[in-house]
Amino acid sequence: MFGSTKVKLDASLVDRIRKFAEIAGYSSPEEFITHALEKELAVLEEAGDEEEIKKRLQGLGYMS
Amino acid sequence: MTTTTHARRWTGVWVATIVILMLAGWPESADAYIGPGAGFAVLGSFAVIFVTMLLAGISILAWPFRTVWRMIRHRRTSKPLVKRTIFIGFDGQDAAITERMMAEGKLPNYSELAERGSYRKLRTTFPSITPVAWSSFSTGTNPGRHNIFDFLDRDPRTYLPRLSSTHIGSVEKFLKIGKLRIPLKKPEIRNLRKSKPWWTILGENNIWSTIIRVPITFPPDKFYGAQLGAMCIPDLLGTQGTFMLFTTRPESESFQEGGMRVALEKNGSNSTFEATIEGPENAFFEGSPPMKLPLSIDVDRASGSARAAINDAEVELKTGELSGWVKLDFKVIPGMKVSGLTRIMLTEADEHVSLYMSPINIEPGKPAMPISHPSYYSSYLEKKIGPYATLGLAEDTWALNEKVTNDGTFWTQTQDVDDEREQMLDIALDKLRSGALVTVFDATDRVNHMYWRYIDDGHPAAEGIDNPEYADAIEKQYIRNDGIVGRVLEKINDDDVLFVLSDHGCTSFRRGVNLNAWLLNEGYLTLKTGADPSEPWLGSVDWSKTKAYAVGLVGIFLNIRGREAKGIVSPGEEAMAVKRQIAANLQGLVDEETGDVAINEAFDTDTLYRGPYKGNAPDLLMGYNHGYRISWDCASGVVAGEVFEDNVKAWSGDHIVDPRLVPGILLCNHEVSSEDPHIVDLAPTVLTLFGVRPADHMDGTPLLDKKRITRAAGPKA
Repeated sequence: MFGSTKVKLDASLVDRIRKFAEIAGYSSPEEFITHALEKELAVLEEAGDEEEIKKRLQGLGYMS
Repeated sequence: MTTTTHARRWTGVWVATIVILMLAGWPESADAYIGPGAGFAVLGSFAVIFVTMLLAGISILAWPFRTVWRMIRHRRTSKPLVKRTIFIGFDGQDAAITERMMAEGKLPNYSELAERGSYRKLRTTFPSITPVAWSSFSTGTNPGRHNIFDFLDRDPRTYLPRLSSTHIGSVEKFLKIGKLRIPLKKPEIRNLRKSKPWWTILGENNIWSTIIRVPITFPPDKFYGAQLGAMCIPDLLGTQGTFMLFTTRPESESFQEGGMRVALEKNGSNSTFEATIEGPENAFFEGSPPMKLPLSIDVDRASGSARAAINDAEVELKTGELSGWVKLDFKVIPGMKVSGLTRIMLTEADEHVSLYMSPINIEPGKPAMPISHPSYYSSYLEKKIGPYATLGLAEDTWALNEKVTNDGTFWTQTQDVDDEREQMLDIALDKLRSGALVTVFDATDRVNHMYWRYIDDGHPAAEGIDNPEYADAIEKQYIRNDGIVGRVLEKINDDDVLFVLSDHGCTSFRRGVNLNAWLLNEGYLTLKTGADPSEPWLGSVDWSKTKAYAVGLVGIFLNIRGREAKGIVSPGEEAMAVKRQIAANLQGLVDEETGDVAINEAFDTDTLYRGPYKGNAPDLLMGYNHGYRISWDCASGVVAGEVFEDNVKAWSGDHIVDPRLVPGILLCNHEVSSEDPHIVDLAPTVLTLFGVRPADHMDGTPLLDKKRITRAAGPKA
């Protein structure tokens, strides 16, 4: 319920976001903003623990 | 009233308000979280119940205000055409088998529905795989717009696989008190499916939806409605389904896939045994040791029975019979526990004693993770129908593959999960006055996978089929589905629209294709000097000399400079040339042992997909022919071995093939507009039915409109 934060952006930037979001096939400008930030964070963040990652896949029926 | 009294009263109100808001602001922190690398929230059991009840009360009280707000914010473009839209999903129901059985008169309710409205084959997604297809159903978009291309994705930084649908983070901040580490924040759990599901859009227009077990709804969406999550909800250990076998048999090889062997030790006599059940990791302690529960078993060999004692419960067992749900309470710290559900079965009580324990499901009455929306919906269902399976892939295919269980046990698991699902459908349908309802049944897909060897003469896995009773398991399942449709037909009205659909079909999986072995042979992939090519997850690969690799179930990635951490293929012209070359060499690839074409086509995903996420897809998508699929070894990133190998596992049917070969089905009580509908069409269709204009970003086309909504024949007499 209180898990999100509001951010203020320039009106001109919001206009550009809205226009590009529609062209690119996002469901909303918010989705576009989220994706852009996630792409930046993926470069900066460290990869997860290898053993933990493998353990999470264990038991998926389609693969051994 | 004096000024002092007045101030105290208002102070009390403000304090109470702040406390309530704080508690309400932690709706998810009431849930404990489990899994590899994760930690628990601080609140204990009583606080969980209190907060859950408080949230339910707040939700009810706030409903009128939220309704008015929704009405002010969004106005529908036109009046709804229907009162209710109901989707019954049978994951994996194959069109060819369905049509044959309808023609033979074995599916009378399907035939009636087709007669009343329409039957069509339903085109599925590229690839034809559950998480992708249901995500397209949910959002009305192609995978380039919803970001789900496979069960797995690869991390381009490490080349390691990860679940494509959910990100689960780790707890990083702890408060240390002596030996305890109190997690200060819950780990992040994020659904990686993008775009916007149609039920969220309906909710924005004040239309209720109940969404039961649609895949790729973990964690659940937040919208005006109720949702029980499905794939890929983990088990209590945080995996996709780890079974345990407690046994006195000496340890040989441990289970490669999905299972854990645990030694049963004698306790004083030849008929009393004990063992330890290892539960989830306990992040409250350094090193996150597993939580443990003692298990004891008293065996009566003469009658082939046993009594198992776990927690305070005693479970009576007979050899070969699966128990009901057994609750496991793992102690976290004093005053806090986490609960799971399992089913157990005595598999032998002779010279050796063995006990099978199914993957431990998250207990829905007090779930350790967010598995429903609202959070109390899973608990509500548990109060109504009793304990039920919550694991994403709930039926234990790996125990059958490993021959720990047998065809009979697996059949029981699938039918019991379907029974639970039908009870959920009945409750939701009875309660739904207006709005949308989806219920997805999984048994068809599982039964297709595991019993295909019975209907495919000459299948490598058909040797040693243990029980001819299951020769018609697939047909029995389809007949059962027909019965479910019949019961729904009796309950719907003239102003309801009913769809029965499947996300894809199924075909034989006789031979596995190791794409990495092929890439190695063709020079696109190089091994490190001296490396063991049987090492999983591409651990043997020399990335500095590798142009392409396969991870996951559906295709091939190029090792692109600037995209992959150790990429060597330049993006642009070089990448296109390598891709074209690989595609040309794979198209029409012949299995020399059988003389059959193994790969019909290798699809360039750059032309296949549209949307902002298409860069996350494999570069080439394989269109395997009937009988072929990615091999078990290749799916685990093993490079060693032959390119082609027999599939001898019980998992003998599959649908990760050329999608054009495995369409799903679509039945409706009205005639749909298209002769060749696609699964992306359902989202814009349901929006149109409720008078909401389909969103511009959706790829599908509505299948029904005002002109096509004719009067239904009425409920079955």
